[in-house]
Amino acid sequence: MIAAVREFANRFLGRGEATITVPSFDGALKPNQKLEAATTLLECEAPEDLATDGRNLYVADGRRLLRLDGSAATELRSFEQPISALCALVDGGIAVALGGREVRLYANPSSGEPSLTFSDVAFNAINALTLAGDGTLIATDGSATCGVDDWARDLMELNRSGRVFRLDPKTRSVKPLASKLGYAFGACVRGDGVLVSESWRHRLVLVADGRAPQIVLGRLPVYPSRLSKATGGGYWLTAFTARTQLIEFVLREPAYRRRMMAEIDPAYWVAPRLRSGFSFKEPMQGAHIKTMGVIKPWAPPRSYGLVIRLGEDGKPLYSLHSRVDGVNHGVVAALELGSDLILIAKGPGRVLKLPLAGLAEETGS
Amino acid sequence: MRDTLTSLRYRYWPDHLLGEILSKRWTETAIPVILLLIVGFALSRSIDHFLSPASLADTARQAGEIGFIGLGMALVVIVGGIDLSVGSIFALTDFCALYLLDVLNWPVPAVVVATLACGALLGAVNGILIGYLRLRAFITTLITLIIYRSAFDLLIQRYSNSIAAAFPDIPSWNFIGGGDVFGIPSVALVYIAIAIFGHIFMTRLRPGWHITAIGGSRRSAYNSGIPVRRTIALCYVASGALTSIAALFFAARLGTVGGDIGVGLEVIVLTATVLGGITLGGGKGSVAKSLVGVLIVLLITNGLTTLNARGGINRMALAGILLVAAMVDIRWQKNRTRIISKVYVAPTYHALPPPATEIGQGGPFEQNDKLRDVELIGLGRIEAPEDVILDRNNNLYAGSRHGDIMRFFAPDYQRMEVFAHIGGQPLGMAFDRQDNLYVCIGGMGLYRITPDGTVEKATDETNRSMHSVNDDSRLRLADDLDITDDGLIFFSEATVRYEMDEWPIDGLEARGNGRIICYDTKTGATHTALRGLKFPNGICVASDGQSILFAETFGCSIKRLWFAGPKKGQVEVVMDNLPGYPDNINLASDGNYWLALVGMRSPSLDLAWKMPGFRRRMAKRVPVDEWLFPNINTGCVVKFNEQGKILESFWDLRGENHPMITSMREHRGYLYLGGIMNNRIGRYKLDNADPNFVQYDKRWGKAS
Repeated sequence: MIAAVREFANRFLGRGEATITVPSFDGALKPNQKLEAATTLLECEAPEDLATDGRNLYVADGRRLLRLDGSAATELRSFEQPISALCALVDGGIAVALGGREVRLYANPSSGEPSLTFSDVAFNAINALTLAGDGTLIATDGSATCGVDDWARDLMELNRSGRVFRLDPKTRSVKPLASKLGYAFGACVRGDGVLVSESWRHRLVLVADGRAPQIVLGRLPVYPSRLSKATGGGYWLTAFTARTQLIEFVLREPAYRRRMMAEIDPAYWVAPRLRSGFSFKEPMQGAHIKTMGVIKPWAPPRSYGLVIRLGEDGKPLYSLHSRVDGVNHGVVAALELGSDLILIAKGPGRVLKLPLAGLAEETGS
Repeated sequence: MRDTLTSLRYRYWPDHLLGEILSKRWTETAIPVILLLIVGFALSRSIDHFLSPASLADTARQAGEIGFIGLGMALVVIVGGIDLSVGSIFALTDFCALYLLDVLNWPVPAVVVATLACGALLGAVNGILIGYLRLRAFITTLITLIIYRSAFDLLIQRYSNSIAAAFPDIPSWNFIGGGDVFGIPSVALVYIAIAIFGHIFMTRLRPGWHITAIGGSRRSAYNSGIPVRRTIALCYVASGALTSIAALFFAARLGTVGGDIGVGLEVIVLTATVLGGITLGGGKGSVAKSLVGVLIVLLITNGLTTLNARGGINRMALAGILLVAAMVDIRWQKNRTRIISKVYVAPTYHALPPPATEIGQGGPFEQNDKLRDVELIGLGRIEAPEDVILDRNNNLYAGSRHGDIMRFFAPDYQRMEVFAHIGGQPLGMAFDRQDNLYVCIGGMGLYRITPDGTVEKATDETNRSMHSVNDDSRLRLADDLDITDDGLIFFSEATVRYEMDEWPIDGLEARGNGRIICYDTKTGATHTALRGLKFPNGICVASDGQSILFAETFGCSIKRLWFAGPKKGQVEVVMDNLPGYPDNINLASDGNYWLALVGMRSPSLDLAWKMPGFRRRMAKRVPVDEWLFPNINTGCVVKFNEQGKILESFWDLRGENHPMITSMREHRGYLYLGGIMNNRIGRYKLDNADPNFVQYDKRWGKAS
């Protein structure tokens, strides 16, 4: 009863849960345009995920699995469904998630038949795979109801049905590690647990067997996505899009959301996107008005590009941005290969390369 | 079903009035008046004969007496001080009057003058201490309260018996005490006279304004040359004199000098003052507020006395009321503008069906990139050219946000000069028969610039509409214009509720806040031709010479208004449910019309326009920079004919070269483009256009 009254008062006065404030890009997240300076290795239709075994760089592009040597792409194989996650295995093999519903393991990237297939009925939107130390695979599943590409609906429906699974190739068993997450998207092993991006709750949590998820990094101004290990300790955390006050507001407006989902083409929803500015039917916000021929980089982002370098403790050290007036938005995957950082900017459909040397000094706080 | 209910609710319930009423200055008087009516009504229901003439006359007598003191207190509070010594001054001057009359047997006129002088003198002590020596008003008047009271006590010890023994029977004295004219007590008559003078004094005369100014900000008043110390001192003198008037009437009415005369009077008067809405901080207040406050307090005390409440309860009630009133006053003064800004924005229901011409599926709105390669004029040198116009010598004129009309010289438009400086943002422009340039200036009105660059005001006001709460006689956002053959200038005023820079709020409201105004160049008269339009913008006299075409930006429609001929006064829709927001309209060389679509509709805003509650909450919680806006980054130019059929369209899809188009003007085979957020003017070569077309030369039948 008291909770209901409080919720009503909050809604009426716009405070508590009803506030729509978004943390600012501050400190280690101070904006720059580093991602705009990245070299484009490859432009393709639908780049989704990256994987490397230390020598080869694999790119999932829609249904195709590519190997990238410099900027030359070789198609290794193609699947009947789009690849939704990719992971290189220790022995030179590769694991792919297909359409979010199935995980296949191959002994080598071009071998014909999968060595093992996991297709648990619980799988719905597997969007990231990572290797755990004990030879098992960790898979994050964003939503129990919305497909991999339908994440905006999952956000707008306020779903909290993300899950983390442990796939054991030896026993061929699937074991849930965590559930009821606000869109699990990306994981990386840390100690005996797994760091998981919880996009809709704007945070990183540490998930381990038999423990409640523990917040490692919270209150992000962005929706975090896939993670990878960085050399010298720490992690690369990508953020596929940023939060805005308007979207936070819409998330607290059930009637508008319901009608928007029912009546409007998803491309034109008031929802975060991987790319923007391609149609005048997209929602426009006040600061987006081109004044004197310029779009302000500080305008509220409908799409954004961001990679955050996290320290060993999970706290941000520095970050690489592509702001509102930039192009390389929707960064969903980042990994280190040699002395470079390789990224996928899903918005413009690009695989990008950024030399690591000097990055920390230039952008660090 | 739900949409129908919403639409009915917003059509018949005037949400926008609340904010407009609250932002009126008279609401601050209206609230005490309402309180007075409530108190009066409640008491008249619970007490018999409360509203009988005898009872009313009695109330009026008391009200007059306290009213004088209230006026003095109001004056002192408005100037930024307080006078606690009124009760003691009242007692002393009461004594003074009776002593002079009963003991010294002075004639009544001399008594009156002497008593007034005595009151003024007692007030002057306060005035000199507070005004010139700059002591704190509170502490000073507290001290004089004690001193005057002690003096009174000493004096009545000596003279009370001789005063009490005398029974003067002088007609004029009795008239002061109990006389009336047509049933109105003498005291009330004098009060009315002084109150009327006080009202004129405070609102119309220089010293009154000085008093308000000092109360509002003493330092600013000093800096602007107001004699601060003298004015403050004189306010206390006036307070003393007004108190002595009250004492005179009291003395004449009762003729006693009891020990408790005037005790606690300051609390009663202070309560009345605060309750009437005179802010204790100073700078705000009026005679009417003072009167209302006095009446409320008097009704309450009298009512309580009649209901046999004990004296303690009476005082406690007064003190309680004073506390509550002071609290409400402080909170209101602090939050007034915030409250108004929260309730002023009142979105309404505005439903548009999905655009009939689905873009990207063929049809006249099919997108292209014809405007991508427009030639740019004045890039980076001109800012905010909303409209562009060319004269017969091919010189180009455009407004700038610095309040100038800039002129670019033909043939290459490289050289630029300030043609005229006006001071406000120039919007729509048109040449008249004598080559005067008429310009709509946002925030200022309609201006005329002669060919030699002299700026003259044409009009900046129209008739005030009867049923509008806001004063809508001043022009807030004159937008675009055209001139008829008879010299009538029709121009649009986009909104009467907001200033030019607040246009997004008007878009958020989506109410018909705009109007079309007609200025007659022959008589100089201005009148409103049409109101209730959703951001009326472009205006163009149609080829028939009897009607104008006008664009409603947020109505997404083009309409026609007949100003002459058989259909005079009628309005007809030419095109509605456009896929974008129409802006300026101008003639094309082939007899059709050019129309700028400043932006395109987005489904998310179309939906929000059907949900006023959503927009109201958005306005309150989300900063303007994050609001859902009409998309005005992508627009186009279209050509339409007399029947309202779109013939062709010109786009710059990504808006890279020419981001925004608010106007276009055809001139000798080229189309010139203006945009209010741009730092450039576009020039586009038209195919198959008349190479000799000069719009206003053709219009006025001149050879070019």
